[in-house]
Amino acid sequence: MRDRRCKRIFAMLSDYLNIELPAKNCSELELHLKDCDPCIAYLESLKNTVEACRRYQVRKIPASSKKVREALMLALR
Amino acid sequence: MYGVNTQIEQALEILKSGNRQDAERAIETLQRVVYGFGMKVCGSHEDAQDTAQETLIRLARQLRDFPDARALSVWLYKVAKTQCLMSRRKSKFAPAQMLSLDALMPKDSVLSPAATKTLPLTPEEIVLNQELRGRLEDAILALPKHYRLVLILRDMEQLDTREVAEVMGISEETTKMRLHRARVFVRNALAGYVQDLEKGR
Repeated sequence: MRDRRCKRIFAMLSDYLNIELPAKNCSELELHLKDCDPCIAYLESLKNTVEACRRYQVRKIPASSKKVREALMLALR
Repeated sequence: MYGVNTQIEQALEILKSGNRQDAERAIETLQRVVYGFGMKVCGSHEDAQDTAQETLIRLARQLRDFPDARALSVWLYKVAKTQCLMSRRKSKFAPAQMLSLDALMPKDSVLSPAATKTLPLTPEEIVLNQELRGRLEDAILALPKHYRLVLILRDMEQLDTREVAEVMGISEETTKMRLHRARVFVRNALAGYVQDLEKGR
């Protein structure tokens, strides 16, 4: 990363992706991105990482145990 | 904003309403959610199954004490989180430590085209690419637990920031700070995977 501005922008990237960045900071970040290819590239790769996490699914889920089913069915009464 | 998974809320609504006909399906939905969460956090089948069993049995006792399904969903994750941290039979927990943003920030040289190349992310590839899955799992399990939990709750379970803060018992600001560092940590780990692809492994 190139300079102090990049460092400041770097700290805001997740809030930006979450659409939780205050409007003022958002404008600052977008202005910076117009002129900073490394930050654009980093943002893109961070976005892809979040996407990989979102799409990740655990395989092979076992059925609930008999004990769990009995306890929950009993709680319905 | 994503909010607690609607599937969980629906399952809890079914159980709260006492609808026996749909109850078994609702129980399996909750098993899938809690076991899946346990696997992501602990990385061990035995611990994930213990987490699911203990959490869902506690749920049976609490089912009627919560006014709405959303509050119950947050409670469910809170209990599952505590169970995960307690069940360490085979779980991998990196030592508790702070991740410094400065240390995680890439140097100029790291931002090569390869390092920032788009990950292969079509839904099929994420589901089928065993190596990418393995790298992602390893990176998440290498995170110190408080960062790992925040990342899993926010990006995998897709709770919103307020809900993650509630489950973790921390402020929203701390949640955001931990989330960003955890994402950067995982992103940097996956960049190695992309670089390996570039080298033609």
